[in-house]
Amino acid sequence: MTPGDGKKTGVGIWRCVKCRTGFFPQRLLCARCHGDTFEPDRVYEAVVEEISVIRHMLGQTDWQPRRIASVRTSDGQRITVGLTDASEPGAVIELFEDGTAPFGAAKR
Amino acid sequence: MFANAAITGVGQSAYTRRPEPSQSTATFIRDAVVAALADAEIDARDIDGMAVASFSLAPDAGVDLAWKLGLNLRWLLQDTNGGSSAMNMLGHALRGVETGAASAILVVGGDATGLGGYAKVAANFNTVTQMHLAPLGHGGPNGVYALVTSRQMKKYRLEKSDYGQLAIAQRAFAAHNPHAVYRTPMTMEDYLTAPLVADPLSRYDCVPVVAGAQAIIVTHPDRCPRGRAPVRVRAHCASFNYDNQEGDGLQTGISTFANELWQAAGVRPGDIDLASIYDDYPTMVLAQLNDLGMIPGSDLQRFARHDIGERRFPLNTWGGMLSAGQPGGPAGGLNGISEAVLQLQHRAGARQVKDARLAVATGYGMTMYRYGGTAAAAVLERAE
Repeated sequence: MTPGDGKKTGVGIWRCVKCRTGFFPQRLLCARCHGDTFEPDRVYEAVVEEISVIRHMLGQTDWQPRRIASVRTSDGQRITVGLTDASEPGAVIELFEDGTAPFGAAKR
Repeated sequence: MFANAAITGVGQSAYTRRPEPSQSTATFIRDAVVAALADAEIDARDIDGMAVASFSLAPDAGVDLAWKLGLNLRWLLQDTNGGSSAMNMLGHALRGVETGAASAILVVGGDATGLGGYAKVAANFNTVTQMHLAPLGHGGPNGVYALVTSRQMKKYRLEKSDYGQLAIAQRAFAAHNPHAVYRTPMTMEDYLTAPLVADPLSRYDCVPVVAGAQAIIVTHPDRCPRGRAPVRVRAHCASFNYDNQEGDGLQTGISTFANELWQAAGVRPGDIDLASIYDDYPTMVLAQLNDLGMIPGSDLQRFARHDIGERRFPLNTWGGMLSAGQPGGPAGGLNGISEAVLQLQHRAGARQVKDARLAVATGYGMTMYRYGGTAAAAVLERAE
């Protein structure tokens, strides 16, 4: 799933039923209230805080550089995403998933 | 203060970037154990406790290693805390000897993953890494600490060359360490023109993976070889999952116990003669030193340029892992402890810090998601 296909896909998070705090990655107990029940939720946007270009990967000879970023979601989580475009720090991006991995690209 | 437990001997295997087919984690560990026993002048039959940490010992466990080393034990620990394993094992070993659970404990760490094996370790470090980071092509810890480094540069107005001060100063020490894998002096131009690995980290910001092992012996200070000062530990503290990975990673778990550490040690940061700070990345060296209160005014820029750049403070005097190599996090941490011991025993040769009496050593590791979640530190003292 990629952004720009008309659907808001977002990234799945886990929200504590008791205190409503959202988490990514998944936890066993809520770090705030230690509640043990979570419900799935989604976040759709984030602001890019830092980026890096991974230019070298141990054990790989034909590696193509990839961009990753630390972002703050609209719900407050700081998560690491793959960037599929040239978004820079400060940009608002749209979040989406590929399997269990979170990605982002500039809002269209 | 541990009154009845001290470090009395240290030993290491050779370090190599590319191990021979005949070499393995077990053989490197054996070599380090043999060296440590000889250094401590203690017979293997007198070892009744062992702590071990390794990313590549499996499928063997600690007891298998004891069997293969012919050690009959009444105290055994296997630690899984990566870069703080060494410091964590040291704390447990000191308490083990102090309380009489064992009388002589061998603490050992080693790895021989090879570069390809390390890549697998990095991509499968925990379930979160497997699920949420590795599929991004995040580059293992290099990618994680690239992001932390950008954050630190912004917050503390650091330039790339500030990190170079640490790498260059440590390389100068490595020139006097025959075990270091990189000993050729490095210039700032070398540092700044090195290829980028994960922006803004370049080659000399990233710890080189090596194969090797390191061991120390913890026993009663009276069992220290004649004519050599045992090294006592004035205080030891540790922290695990200090902030649920919700901070910025610029503070480490050390920040949660630094005041307690200094108070228990009865000394101040300014009293310290040298520091062995876990250095998988220069970024985290500055973060740990800042947490320890060893960077006045949290002025990281001035500390890098003035204290390190002008060689005013002896930091990672064996070259650090950045120059000596990282034989896995556990043995890498033991290398820093071993260097502090050699310095405090005045056995560090050409890299000896004059009249060294007090040292601080740290461990930092387990990159759980956005940064490391374990940390530990100790204040070590030359016991006259």
